[in-house]
Amino acid sequence: MSLSDYLRILRARRGGITPLDIEAATGVDKGLYRQMEQRYRAVGDDDTLRRLADFYDVPFEALRWRLDWPRKALSRALVQVIGENNPIRLELSDGQVVAGAVKWWDLGAIGVETPDGEWVVQRHAVEKWSPRAQEDTLAADADNDADVED
Amino acid sequence: MADNLWALREQKKLSVATMASRAGLSIGLIMEYESGHRSIDPRHLSKLARALYVDEADIKLNTEPRPGTGPLERQVRRDEYRSAPAPAIQAAAPPKPSERAPRTPRAPLPPRIAAPPRPSQLAHLQDLLTRLGRSQADVEAEHGKPLAELDRLTVSALLGKLQTEYRAGKVVERRRAHLPEAVDQFELKYLTAVQEANASLNLTLFDGSHLTGQLIGFGPYNFTLRQADGAEVTVAKLALVCYTRVPEAGGSQEPGA
Repeated sequence: MSLSDYLRILRARRGGITPLDIEAATGVDKGLYRQMEQRYRAVGDDDTLRRLADFYDVPFEALRWRLDWPRKALSRALVQVIGENNPIRLELSDGQVVAGAVKWWDLGAIGVETPDGEWVVQRHAVEKWSPRAQEDTLAADADNDADVED
Repeated sequence: MADNLWALREQKKLSVATMASRAGLSIGLIMEYESGHRSIDPRHLSKLARALYVDEADIKLNTEPRPGTGPLERQVRRDEYRSAPAPAIQAAAPPKPSERAPRTPRAPLPPRIAAPPRPSQLAHLQDLLTRLGRSQADVEAEHGKPLAELDRLTVSALLGKLQTEYRAGKVVERRRAHLPEAVDQFELKYLTAVQEANASLNLTLFDGSHLTGQLIGFGPYNFTLRQADGAEVTVAKLALVCYTRVPEAGGSQEPGA
């Protein structure tokens, strides 16, 4: 699940709190929290994530790893598997795994043809997927190399 | 000591036209003043003095003509000079209508030969006929000759008619965005088909529970199901993990790992 979807779910669990309230409570820059929830690409830095982790009372790492799995990366992976006519494997938030050919996908959901029939998976419930798009794999490798050098 | 108007003007290196413009007087009047044909009107003296940047007393009211010159002719203004026709052009001017020779009647043009159709027109025509599902033989029979023997204008008119026919019958589909993350039409289409078929969905929620029921409504952010006991439940999509259509035979599914 992307960071933006996870933040939306955490905020929904709080019930009724607005992005402005969260920015005021955590001292996050004005407009940044809204962008972190709404942007499809990864937005946010470690300092902001620590503040939000404290606010929602979740581990920092539970937010941090999601920056590497933004919604845009899932879109790229879907485009790639459809183009190459390959199946995709989706790990869902409740622990289930759905694997099969992508029939369609859009703003909110993905239609996957599995041996058990067609499943409609909500995009916000996809924790991780494989294969990742080639460009995301290369970017992740570059990040790992940088970590090693540091 | 007063001086002649023309002498003052030449000292200031002004043309008659420029001085006339500055003083607000006509060129002809200035020339008459300078030639001595007319004495300077006292009402104009101040204007001429201002135009020449001199005192009124510096200008003689009765100007003596420039020595060695005959009677002055009016200077040609620059714009008049430009618009004056050159002598060569004047010589080449057309004769008056009365002097022209009578016009001989033009020989009638030979009958126009219709151009053959362009190869690109024929290719386009055949492509359109294929798209419309019509045979070339029918069109040829309609016109009474092979397509290649029709003239260019006829083929052009035929192309226009067929294109109109093709556009009218073409189903315009919504253009799909490059990345469909900007639209929600695919899920909407799926749910519409489920609802129209009065089919049921099996929903898996984030808390691990399942809900099964007939889909009776949906929006961008929620579903409404009617369960077997008649109860209607509205579920926010944010609480959903996935769902599948319950087969007609009954029974729910678990996704394969």
